[in-house]
Amino acid sequence: MIRVKGLSKSFDTVDNGNTSVFALADIDFEVRDNEFVTVIGPSGCGKTTLLRIIAGLIPYHQGEVSIDSRPVTGPGPERAVVFQGFALMPWADVLGNVTFGLDIRGVSKSESEARAKELIKLVGLEGFERRLPKELSGGMQQRVGLARALAVNPRILLMDEPFGALDEQTRRLLQEQLLQLWERERKTVVFITHSMEEAVMLGDRVMLMTPRPGKVKEMIDVPLKRPRAHDVEKSPAFVEIKEYLWDHLRAMQAAQP
Amino acid sequence: MKKTTLRDWALRLAVFVVGVGVWEFFLSHSQNFLLPTFSQMATALLHLVFLEPRFWEALYISNQALLVGYAASVVIAIPLGLLAGRLPWMDRVLNPYFGVLLVMPVAPLIPVVIIALGLGLAARVFIVVLFAVVFITINTRAGVRAVEPALIEMAKSFGARESQIWRRIIIPGALPAIFAGLRIGLGRAITGMVMVELILVASGLGRLLLEFSGRMQSDLVFATVLAVIIEALTLLSAMQFIERRIAAWAPDISLR
Repeated sequence: MIRVKGLSKSFDTVDNGNTSVFALADIDFEVRDNEFVTVIGPSGCGKTTLLRIIAGLIPYHQGEVSIDSRPVTGPGPERAVVFQGFALMPWADVLGNVTFGLDIRGVSKSESEARAKELIKLVGLEGFERRLPKELSGGMQQRVGLARALAVNPRILLMDEPFGALDEQTRRLLQEQLLQLWERERKTVVFITHSMEEAVMLGDRVMLMTPRPGKVKEMIDVPLKRPRAHDVEKSPAFVEIKEYLWDHLRAMQAAQP
Repeated sequence: MKKTTLRDWALRLAVFVVGVGVWEFFLSHSQNFLLPTFSQMATALLHLVFLEPRFWEALYISNQALLVGYAASVVIAIPLGLLAGRLPWMDRVLNPYFGVLLVMPVAPLIPVVIIALGLGLAARVFIVVLFAVVFITINTRAGVRAVEPALIEMAKSFGARESQIWRRIIIPGALPAIFAGLRIGLGRAITGMVMVELILVASGLGRLLLEFSGRMQSDLVFATVLAVIIEALTLLSAMQFIERRIAAWAPDISLR
């Protein structure tokens, strides 16, 4: 379980080292085991900062962030991140990229390659093991990123707008694929998105954030039945939640300069 | 990197033939007795290679300075460049010195170096280093800085230690730029090698050049320069061959 209590994070502004900008102020929430939580909010609400703090990539000094009651002090084997820009090593092939997390952990080459091949197959890229990232489409690259994250068998997946850089068709396909993968093995997921449809379609709960400073406005339950596919978008419950999100997001946008 | 095709070679040959043709034509119609024709230069080169043991002796002497100087440059420059690329404070400290070495003409320093280090190999090596080191350093630094920060963050997210980040992300990522620096540095080192011999330390190829030009033997002068160019091209090709094996994934980038 991920627990965040009273988390605040400030950054020194670049132009004047004396002033601080509060990216996050007094964040309180919990993510239960095997729960899929999507996070949505306008730009500047600190959602990426929040994810990075949970991932152990950014330090924090005010508040508590703990995983199974152990405070987060850095990255850990129980968490893996999927990045918006894919973050693949251009000099390594698909296999080399997927084994990266395992290589870092010192897993033997034969073992890591075997596991990587399994996952490459799982994300539908069988046959592409020797290709370089530049030979792959955006959707395929992100599937490599996903395979890499899953290869280390994390209990928690932290996804930073993973489909944001993709076109809509690819995005929808990957959403479905992600849901299918998640049904097989229900990891705890924190998924950041800009898209309301994506937030409602994927999440068990949607965390709505407000900007400047970033705060949690509301946790919204998404009682739609699983397994879900894109046809769920037509259901009245879906539309209702989506519209609710939009009303709030629009108000937030209007309130900004 | 795109491999050069047969067509590229044909075009290169065409440019060469046209250039030589213009050269020969221009000279045969001028009153200039000092400039050699292409054929004269080629003949002189053959003479040097096959009939002049002093040429090979000079090549050996000059290349000593090149080898030691270039190796020293690489050993100094790459770690400096890596650190300057990764550690902002070090970069800030070293930056003005890089800047000075970059724009400063090294040739005027040669007499100063000779006074300090004498007329032997040490002085020549030092000059070669001065010519080459800063170019390798700044390309290395640029290579490190060009590594996507997202990749370093990704590595950290999987729990990579700093040494692992260096070995698995920074060095592979910076390798194309490092190679570019090595290539440029080699060209600079060769220039330095010859220049110091021309200006003060009359040994090796520089001495031969001075001798030939002193005797107005322009065909031999040109032939010697051609020999240096051929050596440089051979070394650079060898380097590109290695680079293609190791760092084929990146587009051709070159700083400066």
